[in-house]
Amino acid sequence: MMRERFLSGYDSFVLPFMIGMAFILVYCIAGMIKVIMQLNKEDKIKLAKSLFYPANAFKNLRDIFADCIFHVKIWKRNKLLGYMHSSIAFGWLMLIVIGHIETWIYIPQRSGLLYYPVFFRYFMSVESYTLRGSFFFFLMDFFLLMVLSGIFLAIFKRFRSKILGMRRTTKLTLLDYIGLYSLWAIFPLRLISEGFTAGISGGSFLTIPVNWLFANFLSKPENFDYTWWAYSIVLGVFFIVLPFTRYMHIPAEILLIPMKNAGIKVRHPRKGMALAQLYSCSSCGLCIDACPMGTQKKNLKDSTVYLVRQIKRRNETRTREISDKCLMCGKCAAICPVGVAACDLRLAVREEQKCNIHGDYTYLKSVVPDLNKQNDRGEDKVLYYAGCMSSLTPVISRSVVKILDKAGVNYELMDKDGSICCGRPLLLAGKKEEAEALIAKNREIIHNSGATTLLVSCAICYKIFSEEYSLEGIKVIHYTEYFESLAKQGKITLTKGSSRYVYHDPCELGRGCGIYDAPREAISRIGELVPAEKEKKDSICCGGSIGSLTLSYTERGHITQYAVNNLIINTPDKIVTACPLCLKTFSKYSDVKVIDFAEALSQQME
Amino acid sequence: MIDFGFALTPSATLQIDNLDNKLFEQLRNIEPDVAKCMACGSCTASCSAGNYTELNLRKVILSLQRGREQDTLNSLKSCMLCGKCNIVCPRGINTRHLILSICKVYNI
Amino acid sequence: MKENVVIIGGGPSGIEAARRIRNFGYTPILIEKELRLGGHLAQWDRLFPEGVYAKEVLQTLLSDMDGIKWFTDVQILTINRLKDTYVIKLTNGISVQSKAVLITTGFQLFQAEKKEEYGYGIYNHVITNADLERYFQNRKDSRIDDPKVIGFVHCVGSRDEKAGNRQCSKVCCATAVKQACEIKQLYPDATVYCFYMDLRMFGRRYEDMYLEAQQKYGIRFIRGRVSEVSENHEGRLVVKAEDTLFGRPLRLSMDLLVLMSGIVSSHQSQELAKMIKLPVGEDGFFLPQNTILEPCKSQKQGIFFAGACTGPKTIPESLSEARAAAVAINDYFNTMTE
Repeated sequence: MMRERFLSGYDSFVLPFMIGMAFILVYCIAGMIKVIMQLNKEDKIKLAKSLFYPANAFKNLRDIFADCIFHVKIWKRNKLLGYMHSSIAFGWLMLIVIGHIETWIYIPQRSGLLYYPVFFRYFMSVESYTLRGSFFFFLMDFFLLMVLSGIFLAIFKRFRSKILGMRRTTKLTLLDYIGLYSLWAIFPLRLISEGFTAGISGGSFLTIPVNWLFANFLSKPENFDYTWWAYSIVLGVFFIVLPFTRYMHIPAEILLIPMKNAGIKVRHPRKGMALAQLYSCSSCGLCIDACPMGTQKKNLKDSTVYLVRQIKRRNETRTREISDKCLMCGKCAAICPVGVAACDLRLAVREEQKCNIHGDYTYLKSVVPDLNKQNDRGEDKVLYYAGCMSSLTPVISRSVVKILDKAGVNYELMDKDGSICCGRPLLLAGKKEEAEALIAKNREIIHNSGATTLLVSCAICYKIFSEEYSLEGIKVIHYTEYFESLAKQGKITLTKGSSRYVYHDPCELGRGCGIYDAPREAISRIGELVPAEKEKKDSICCGGSIGSLTLSYTERGHITQYAVNNLIINTPDKIVTACPLCLKTFSKYSDVKVIDFAEALSQQME
Repeated sequence: MIDFGFALTPSATLQIDNLDNKLFEQLRNIEPDVAKCMACGSCTASCSAGNYTELNLRKVILSLQRGREQDTLNSLKSCMLCGKCNIVCPRGINTRHLILSICKVYNI
Repeated sequence: MKENVVIIGGGPSGIEAARRIRNFGYTPILIEKELRLGGHLAQWDRLFPEGVYAKEVLQTLLSDMDGIKWFTDVQILTINRLKDTYVIKLTNGISVQSKAVLITTGFQLFQAEKKEEYGYGIYNHVITNADLERYFQNRKDSRIDDPKVIGFVHCVGSRDEKAGNRQCSKVCCATAVKQACEIKQLYPDATVYCFYMDLRMFGRRYEDMYLEAQQKYGIRFIRGRVSEVSENHEGRLVVKAEDTLFGRPLRLSMDLLVLMSGIVSSHQSQELAKMIKLPVGEDGFFLPQNTILEPCKSQKQGIFFAGACTGPKTIPESLSEARAAAVAINDYFNTMTE
């Protein structure tokens, strides 16, 4: 049986906690309103609709639990790191939930007070142990132990980050340190406070022995008030500094997840969706290790976590520098545990930079490529667009044509007399309007050709063709998928040779469009496919990316070398890639022969 | 004026003596690569836009160095930033950034 | 007792140095990786500027080899230094000792297929300068099929950071002009173009050769680097370049394109540099002790250089350097005995 120790149900030590709690609640609600108000009308409607759509609401809930509480993504990366996060998050949540249940069961009249469940053990005294009571005592101690084990790992990680799978971690700010130390202190103080009180309020396997220790070794164990004060103060401090530290990601993610699920995109570097993402960045620093520019120490501060920090600080020069330098390979975004859309943020920064030149593409009006206007045979017609870069790697279009001929496909070359750029490079430079002009022209050419399928061999072009062109009635397909399907249908016969191949995932094709398997299946038909050290979602940019505006040729060379070393770990005979730019970039640095996907296939075609 | 069948235009010669290359130096600060050009013409030869327009990056760079930017700057508007010139440049000049920087510095 | 001098590389510099070293009274031991002596000289037809046959030059060099030991088809396994002596183990099982080692490992031609935009190995009518010399020697090459329009691309893999070679290969301009005249002699009706960035006609009589190419042979010189090559529906090559003097991009169809592959540091030089820790420049060529006063001495005692292993050189330059190296080695032995 339990009863309240104080009639008032109040003690002034709860004040620091209550001030902190009030502050953080107001701050978060105001922040949430700000983010939502900054969305444009279309996005607001999108968000509202998605919240009330049952399937989506369920998805939101599932994602919030998976990402914020159980940290599934981190578990996948490293089990210890995953345990560290989920033990703290889940343990803390359970302490709060069970605290509320206890209050609600035993002292229902206090269940409206925010501080009561938190300091439950201070306000209660136990008269006799019941089974139900002991069960709760056990649970509370159990989850406290869980959180403490997570905290222990966190402290350990500060000194030995490598063991938890991280080579580099973020440099913390002063406030981050205050937040960090108060977070570390919260639960040990809770243990001590509850330990002191355990003689009165009761406890379980953790708090009773602590109580026994204190009773035996300390002279005045009854002075436990001070520890409750300390416990309340660190909680208060943590809550007050929270909005200005990396821990803001805890509440922010709960807003970000529904926004992401509603399909809202970043439109401005600091407002709306971007703001939600800036708050959601946990400064964990996984992006530092992921960034291929990290091969050179001087680029370490150009990773996404520092971009977020500089945008928050409104340091425009650095924000611009970081944004312009990035290769846009998307690796940091792909591995980010909270899903900060790093490339979109950078693009928004690039778009904001008003350059005085405005592209003028009126000259394209008079360009009429020499194409068969009509689809003469009335059957499916494939229009092949090689792209600008491919004219510097003629082997690609020759191999593609060879395979198309062999398969008996009805095809035509769209850019044999010179390409009109697909628009992706302009888009990546933050020139959306200009890109639209090229898209319009190419769309007109494609529609006039009578084609039913647009075949693209360049990964960069493929990304924009499939995402921005909206070609009604025309299927846009990348040659890796197309040739794999031709092989599957038996339209081309590939023979298995003795060569060992490694496949490099071009950023725009892999992380950009999610095509990982088709090229691998096709390569497995012609030889042995060996894995790279890091591949698929984790593959490393070749360094040639047009995404970066400022990275110099020599700096890119270091990245290329790093990427080549990653590919040749299993001693392949040939490196296969599916992007003309990767091909061109690798060829200069690799001792292992680098060949194009179509070239590889055509060499093994009967 | 009497028509001699030809005209004397003082601007026909390059006035190198009074050359004001402040802007060019500013450009060099942002993109030092501009000084590396050896005028091989690879960029122009491979230019996607150069197929249809007067765009000639080699000429643009030269005109900036000679203080005659007005002759060529407008042609940059047709650039599609496709990056072919970046790949073919034997000196490894970051041509895309150079073009963006020219636009910024020369305010066109 | 006669001192041994090991010479690594049996090209013109190696052969000439061996002869001179022998004349000083030492025993030269010449090591060549190929089956025959002669290096690149053996693969060339005629030499600029006068068009002397390479074969004759090589024959003259090889006519007087008495007192020279030489091994062909042999490579170096290890080099170790014991006090002032180098012990060199060869792949044929023989070990040689010498107090002076002369490196004449020369150069190798840039692999033209690395410049994929030029289509060597992809298009049928693209060849290299080396291929053309072979054709001049034996008149056999299926890729050369009565061409009407012929182009020479200078600086393929030279002056090109993207190919990893910033340096000028020095001799290709003269070679290109020489080859352009020669092919015009074979195909008088053909139109021949040279695409150059800068014509470097630095040697005596080279300018005359250039003048002759313009006047007598009507070779057309276009100042512009070829940026890409494609093939049209008739199977002819289409070359894109900018005529930088005219200031306009141009397209030209042709039947034969000759790539002037540049000179890069040889694979053997790289291996040797690693073996005996000799410093090389950014361009991969060996760094001599002093480029002006001691171009033949390395930064290591007892190791000497001659010929194109320290940078692109013409044949006469290589031969002169070989003689200078012989003198340097003789001086080295003389100071040792003092």
